[in-house]
Amino acid sequence: MFTGCGVVSGQNQYFNRPHPGLEVNRPIQMENGVTSGTCSVYQDQTYSNAGQPAVVHSVSTPLTPLPVPPPALKLGQEGFKKVCRTEEDSPCPFPGLASGVLEMRVKEGSKIRNLMGFAMARMQGEKDASGGGVSGGGLRQVVFTGSGRAVTKTITCAEIMKRKVGSLHQLTKLRYKVVKEVWESAAGGTSEMTVHRTVPSISILLSKDPLDPQEPGYQPPETLSALWEEKEGVESSSQTACKRSHGPLPYSSFPHSKRVCLGDGVSVHPPH
Amino acid sequence: MTEPRNPGMSSIPQAAPVHTDSTSPAVEMDPVEYTLRKRLPRKLPKRRNDVYVNMKTDFRAQLARCQKLLEGGGHREICVHGLGLAINRAINIALQLQASSQGVLQLAANTSTVELVDDLEPEDPDEAGEPMTRTRNNSAIHIKVFYPDPQ
Repeated sequence: MFTGCGVVSGQNQYFNRPHPGLEVNRPIQMENGVTSGTCSVYQDQTYSNAGQPAVVHSVSTPLTPLPVPPPALKLGQEGFKKVCRTEEDSPCPFPGLASGVLEMRVKEGSKIRNLMGFAMARMQGEKDASGGGVSGGGLRQVVFTGSGRAVTKTITCAEIMKRKVGSLHQLTKLRYKVVKEVWESAAGGTSEMTVHRTVPSISILLSKDPLDPQEPGYQPPETLSALWEEKEGVESSSQTACKRSHGPLPYSSFPHSKRVCLGDGVSVHPPH
Repeated sequence: MTEPRNPGMSSIPQAAPVHTDSTSPAVEMDPVEYTLRKRLPRKLPKRRNDVYVNMKTDFRAQLARCQKLLEGGGHREICVHGLGLAINRAINIALQLQASSQGVLQLAANTSTVELVDDLEPEDPDEAGEPMTRTRNNSAIHIKVFYPDPQ
């Protein structure tokens, strides 16, 4: 339904965007107090194209009030098209990280074979370089980041690398990324709106060197199967605590009903 | 979904030697029609504070369920799991929980690979097709949402 909107070249993620956008925005509407300003809409920002007149034009009426419902759908319906999409720079999610770490930015259209081909070569080190004994097996760390629909692909890349390289320490961070979109009226071409929306993003640090195990989101190497047992051990305590507080109702009722059933079965048999 | 089709498909020639031609996987499948049945993921722990996010249930309902567990249910931590496409939603839920707690809640995300099994059943029993299985991998995320310092 969005194909009617013109797309500026380089916006290759556009066509698939609306869906995650909707999903993202729905919860945000509920949390306006917290993520204040993320959905606010501005008119006639100075980001307008050079050729645009600087005159302030009022956008068509339903869009003028500030608390606008999900922008993507609304804008598309109102004949707006997206002219610009920029991700705001956010600080590195891994504070003490060296500056030269390879960062793989996974996009929705990225091919896993391309990403992995590049990243694996860097992590394993070029064959001739390791022959010289200089690099000693390539880089020590790599970061995979992706947002929106690319999150799944990002995780997949990290999982493949863990499997191929082996004994990698992992640190996973989740957060919202702020994306600024500039929308332009298709009808007049004179009014613009800037939409700030938040997109969930993931950053995965894979390291050959040990990382801080206390950091939330840390995963030691080779947790393929150990993940569950370890977690179960941790959470068994909290589970028993909850059983004590909430358990009695369901747990007492179940055995009781079973006994009733048994009693029925027994009582049926004797007459035969 | 986007994950390797080819590794899985490569096992097919061994199971059904009829199709050993080196054509593309899609063509290989043609001679006998199969019904693809996706088995459910391998059994996973289901505690009271585990939330398995899916794409069928309404997002707000799943978010509300998590909020209930944390606020009314007296849990110090819950574990939100998402597989494949539901990863996004799981992350969204976790981030929403964190945001609505004014940043008190913390997130600890772990990722994993889940092996999934598909059954291939021949459509027409008269033809020479044999039932096959095919395994593929999908990514999953497990987000622990917790109040720090549980004392």
